[in-house]
Amino acid sequence: MTLDEAAASVGISAATLRRWVRDGVLPEYRGEWTPEVIGQARLVARMRERGHSLSEIRAATEEGRLAFGHVADLFSGNEPALTLRDASRRTGLDAELIERLMTMLGMRTADTLTEDDLELLRYVAAVLEAGLPLEAMLQLTRVYGQALAQIADAEVRLVHLYVHEPLMRSGSSAAEMADELVGLTGSLLPLASPVLDQIHRRMLAHFIEQDVVGHMEAELEDGDGSGVGRMRVAIAFADLAGYTRLTEEEGELHALDVVERFTDAVTVTLPDDARVIKTIGDEVMIVGSDPVALAEWAVGFQALQSERPLPRIAVHYGYALYRDGDYYGREVNLASRVAARSAGGEVLVTRPIVDAVGSELEFDRIGEVRLKGFTAPTEIFLARPRPEG
Amino acid sequence: MNRTFSIMSEDPDIGPPLREAGTPQRYEFTDLGLVVNLRPGNDGEPNLAWEWSDEVAWEPKVRMAMSSDTANRYFQGKENVAIAIARRRIKATGDVKAALVIIPLQKPLFARYRQMIEADYPHLEV
Repeated sequence: MTLDEAAASVGISAATLRRWVRDGVLPEYRGEWTPEVIGQARLVARMRERGHSLSEIRAATEEGRLAFGHVADLFSGNEPALTLRDASRRTGLDAELIERLMTMLGMRTADTLTEDDLELLRYVAAVLEAGLPLEAMLQLTRVYGQALAQIADAEVRLVHLYVHEPLMRSGSSAAEMADELVGLTGSLLPLASPVLDQIHRRMLAHFIEQDVVGHMEAELEDGDGSGVGRMRVAIAFADLAGYTRLTEEEGELHALDVVERFTDAVTVTLPDDARVIKTIGDEVMIVGSDPVALAEWAVGFQALQSERPLPRIAVHYGYALYRDGDYYGREVNLASRVAARSAGGEVLVTRPIVDAVGSELEFDRIGEVRLKGFTAPTEIFLARPRPEG
Repeated sequence: MNRTFSIMSEDPDIGPPLREAGTPQRYEFTDLGLVVNLRPGNDGEPNLAWEWSDEVAWEPKVRMAMSSDTANRYFQGKENVAIAIARRRIKATGDVKAALVIIPLQKPLFARYRQMIEADYPHLEV
C-alpha cells in the first residue's frame, strides 16, 4: 500500500499522515503501511476529530490507553455506498421508514448505508411481510436497539475494567496490549452470538408460556379498561429504606453492593410469571400476570429480610399500557406512589390486590390517602402473613 | 431424599457451586419428625455430606422447616420459596443472605429430581 492509498483509507491527506509518523503517534510504522498502522491512524483520526492534540494522543499511545481501540477494527464492515433511495428500492421499504428504523437502532450516522445495513433491512422487510404490524415492529426495533446497546456497553466496559486496565498496570507495551486485546476479542466475538441466541430462545420459551397463561386467566375476567396495547398486570415497586443515608455513611461502593444483593435477591425469588422490568438506583419495578403470587411474594420476601436497610414494597393490580418493553400509565404511577408511602419492612397494597388475594394473607386497612398527582383518594392496606395456626 | 442429596452432591452443575457456597443447611420435615443436616464436603470428601440428625459437629447457617409434601413440590420446582414463606408452608431462619445465594444454585436440581420422580416414584409427581 502506498502513502496516498493509506491516507485515503484513513480519510486524511498524505501530508497529515506523514506528519503523524514524524510526531510519533504511529509508533507501529516501520516503513510499511500495515493494517496495524492503518488501524492506529484511524484511531488517531478519531481522537483528532474529538479535539485532542497530537501530544495528548502521543502520551495516550505510549501509556497504552489507545490499545483497546484496535479492537474496533475487528468490527469494521463494508463502506457506506448506498443512498436511502437505493436501500428503499432494493428492500421495498419506504425511505422514511428506513431512516426511522436506523435511528431507533442507533445506527444512523450519515445519509448513506452499507451492504450490511441493507441485509438488516431485508430481514425487517421479511418480518413485516410475514404479517407483524408496523407499530409492533417499530416498538420491537426500539427495544432491540436499547437492549443491545446496553449489552455492547457492558461488554466494552467490563473488558476495559478487567482486561485493559490490569494490562496497563502490568507495564505491558502498547503493542503487547493491542495484540492481547485484539486476540482476546477475536476469540470471544464468535462466542457472543450463540450465547445471546441461546438465552434469547430460553427467554422466548419462558415468556410465551407466561403469555399463554396470562391470556387464559384474562379471559376468565372482565375486560374493562383493556384496549390495544393495554393489559391487566400486577405491578410492584420495591426499594431500600434509608438508602441515601447508607450511601452517605458507608460510601458508594458498599451501597452499590447492597443494591446488587437486593436486586439479585428479588430476581431469584420472584414467581415464574413475574420479572424485573427495570431498576433505577435502588428501586426495582416488577410486573407479573398473577396479583396473588406477586403480593404473596412481596410478603414472603419481607419475611426473608433480617438486615437493614429493609425493603419497602408496594403491589397494585390494574391496566397498564405496554410499550417498548416497559409498562406505562396511571396504574403504574399509582403503584410507585404507594411504594413511596411504605416504610422499611412493609408491604403496602391497594384494594384490587386485597380483592384478588382473599384470605391467603392478612390485610390491615390503613385508610384512604391522597397520593401526589391523583385527585381521588386511594385505599391502601398493610399486607402480612396470616397468623400461625 | 438420600438419592436427591446424592444428585445434588454429584451433579457437576450443583455440587461444586454448593460446596463453594460453604453454607451448612438444616431441613426439617415437620410431618415426619425428620431432620437432616447438610454441609459442604471437606477435602477428599464428595461435594456434600449429610446426616439425618441434629447431633452433628457443625452449626447450620440456614434452617428450613416444611412438610414432606412441600419439600416434594419444592424439589420439583413447583414451590416458590418466598410465596411458601408467606403462606407459612416453609419456615426459614438463619443467615438469609446465605439462603438467597443457595436458592438459584439448587435450580438445576429440579429437572433431575423430576426425572427421578417420573421414573421411580410417579405417585409423587405434582
